[in-house]
Amino acid sequence: MTKLIVAVLKLYRLVVSQLYGQTCRYYPSCSAYALGAVETHRAVRGSWLALRRLARCHPWCAGGVDLVPTTDNYLWWGRAAGTDGEDEPSAGHRQPESISAIPACRGA
Amino acid sequence: MDTVLAPLLWLVSYIMMGWHWVFAELLGINHDGVNWALSIIGLVIVIRTLLIPLFVRQIRSQRKMQLLQPQLRELQKKYKGDRERLQQEMMKLYKKTGTNPFASCLPILLQAPFLFSLFRVLDGIARDRPRGAFPNHEDLFESAGRAEVFGAKLADSFLTTDVMQTRVLAMIMVVGMVVSQYVTQRQIMRKNMPKEALEGPFAQQQKILLYVLPLVFLFSGVYFPLGTVLYWLTSNFWTMGQQLYVIRRMPAPGSDAEKAQQRRQAEKARRKGLTVADPEEKPEVEPGQENGEARRQQPKRTSRSQRKKKRR
Repeated sequence: MTKLIVAVLKLYRLVVSQLYGQTCRYYPSCSAYALGAVETHRAVRGSWLALRRLARCHPWCAGGVDLVPTTDNYLWWGRAAGTDGEDEPSAGHRQPESISAIPACRGA
Repeated sequence: MDTVLAPLLWLVSYIMMGWHWVFAELLGINHDGVNWALSIIGLVIVIRTLLIPLFVRQIRSQRKMQLLQPQLRELQKKYKGDRERLQQEMMKLYKKTGTNPFASCLPILLQAPFLFSLFRVLDGIARDRPRGAFPNHEDLFESAGRAEVFGAKLADSFLTTDVMQTRVLAMIMVVGMVVSQYVTQRQIMRKNMPKEALEGPFAQQQKILLYVLPLVFLFSGVYFPLGTVLYWLTSNFWTMGQQLYVIRRMPAPGSDAEKAQQRRQAEKARRKGLTVADPEEKPEVEPGQENGEARRQQPKRTSRSQRKKKRR
């Protein structure tokens, strides 16, 4: 399943992304994010992350850097630590207390 | 599927009937084919007009971005060769200053259900199964079923017809789509991108595009009814016009289009008898030095050996 989704995404990126050029307000673009998410988190979690990203990406959002969370940082809802592209995983203020308080969840 | 799409099927068929009324009753055109073809073009106009506010927003933030040029140039210097990092930093800057120049894919995604609804409605006309608002308007349904342009039925597709005219027309429209898409792409590249951006891996991508694009359009031109292809073609032309307008009014810094704009402005100023504004004054960019942020981010040209050195 994961392989199938990855193949479809790669084809999409080859064909459709070429047609429109960069339109995404985020880095990485939604399709690149989806590809990375499915590759790191497998089909189910990866698709869920990709769906949430697609819903986030609309003309009224601020955009910016929004990386695929690591497997340790995965959250089923809310923004995971270390996805804002800062060198230090200092996304603490956006994090629920419980998670940023656990040292193991931070730098991973 | 049609139950989910029911409201859209209604909307699409009503917009088409509205335009049909304009052409048939108001203007008195007595030709089913012309009327329905024009109402499909009208449908494109309605949908794309509704999307204009999004487009205007995009232009505004592109204008604001002109002010960010010094900061962007600094980033480019700092992260030279590290394209990924440069893109990240640029995105952060856009976010911080609220000047994201991209529209996201929503405007494109929004159009997909409309295109699909049109496909269902036309498919219904071809199969004598009225969909959307057509079950209540039998006379219009019959008229749409008769609609022919140059002897080709609008509801027929290349695959479902034996009529030569339909096939020829479908192929002409495929060529039209390829050409319009290609011209749009070329306009962005040639006129609105600095020279550096046109070299390196980007040129490679463009080559892939040249082969893949006709295949995608060929598939749609063969599979979809003529009316749907007409919608797509019109939409492509609209995009092309919009693009030309943006390139003329808001060229990317350092591109040929910017030089042309400055020339026009100088010309205008001269004609009015005013002092010619110093072109260096506005965007203090050396021509050809700047990257086309407003368009795509393109990597600076690095040779294979240079990249290898960096990695070590």
